[in-house]
Amino acid sequence: MVSRVRAELRKLLGLPTARVGLVLGTLTAPAIVLLNAPYTRRAIAAGTLTDTSDLGLRDLGVGLIGPMVLGVIAVSSEYTSTSQHAPGARQLTATLTAVPDRLRLLVAKTAALVLVVAAQAAVAATATLGLTQVLHGDHVPVPAPARVAGAILYWTLTALLAYAITLITRNGIVPLTLLVINSTVVSVSYLLTKITDLASYLPDIVGAQMFIRDADFPVEIAPLTAGLVMTAWVAVLLAIGAVLFQRRDA
Amino acid sequence: MNVARAELRKLLTLPSLRLTALLTWAATLLLAYAYAYADRDAPLDDAALAPLGYTQAGFLVLGVLAAASEYEEGGQIHTTLLAMPRRLPLHVVKALTLGAVTLPVAAVTAATSTLPAGGATWTPAATAYLTLTTLLAAAVAGVVRRAVPAAILLLGLYFIAGPLLRARPGGIAAYLPDTAALDPPRGAAATVAWTAAVLALAALTFHRRDA
Repeated sequence: MVSRVRAELRKLLGLPTARVGLVLGTLTAPAIVLLNAPYTRRAIAAGTLTDTSDLGLRDLGVGLIGPMVLGVIAVSSEYTSTSQHAPGARQLTATLTAVPDRLRLLVAKTAALVLVVAAQAAVAATATLGLTQVLHGDHVPVPAPARVAGAILYWTLTALLAYAITLITRNGIVPLTLLVINSTVVSVSYLLTKITDLASYLPDIVGAQMFIRDADFPVEIAPLTAGLVMTAWVAVLLAIGAVLFQRRDA
Repeated sequence: MNVARAELRKLLTLPSLRLTALLTWAATLLLAYAYAYADRDAPLDDAALAPLGYTQAGFLVLGVLAAASEYEEGGQIHTTLLAMPRRLPLHVVKALTLGAVTLPVAAVTAATSTLPAGGATWTPAATAYLTLTTLLAAAVAGVVRRAVPAAILLLGLYFIAGPLLRARPGGIAAYLPDTAALDPPRGAAATVAWTAAVLALAALTFHRRDA
């Protein structure tokens, strides 16, 4: 088990695109806090920013591209051709030769992804919230540990969501497009909440309620329930992905 | 002419392009409906173009897949260059055929978004914008040569960096290639200039690099 996880960790961290995801995800949010500091300070002084308790946690959202890239690339790298000159040669063939038990392979892959993303989320959250405290410490309360844990969980579950969708599609473009469009400032899911209250239970909307307290959400969901709903989404998609991975030809 | 016909045939027979066009159009339809629905209680000022702000992602993907397909397994680019060794004319023909294939898809998508919101005057401009966006994406993918990294780069720029930069007062956001999606008259020049510049860069790298 340990050697399998170590192998998967090495494969993931050796991918150039995964490194891009690591750097982007870890540095974007702190950089935004730093860049926006003058505007934020002015907004606090002018009194236009009434609720400051969400400040650092809200900025964390832009870093989510990191977990998305990591989750997608962990699977899609297995399916992309290893060379232009060797049609049909994919890394998955070698991976399955080394670990023929597909379920065990999937467990190890998932564990490696969770480890990397949780570490990245912890670093990004610490940097972002720490920076917020340093820059606006007088006005922003220190966030409760439970909310920070909720944010880290949100990052990890987002990576697993990307990973599960990629397991189903076997192609990185579809989940990436879907998830990146949906992480833009006004997300598609958020638009859907204007049509039906049911959209509040879409994974990205419900997940954010684990750590953001905001009046924008049409349905107020308790953090614990929110976490459970998002976990259920991820669990169902992962289960479908796992069954397909086991049943389909590689 | 033969080159154009060959390139056209390659583009039209790629299943991924057909699927992308279909999904993009369906997503636009869904979003246009969502905006029309939201419009009923609170009038939105940009309902005609807003769905395209999202579904331009489909056109980015279209351009990326069209260009990156040459470099996928099998290395189709080698066969292409064997048949047509003059790279710069080939590059020009590739851009023109992709534009010609994209134009009808862009027109239908633009009309789907603008007509229900009563913004029919925007349709030609939106069509041109989406076609240029596709060419820009194809040029980027031609330089990167891999579909997933090119998609990450473009989607990250259009959907994460762009909105962040625009949220800041003033600044460089007015010069981004996707400004036209929000502010057509002012952003048109930016879109055209960016597309031309990236296409020129792609032509240069295509001319100079080993295939």
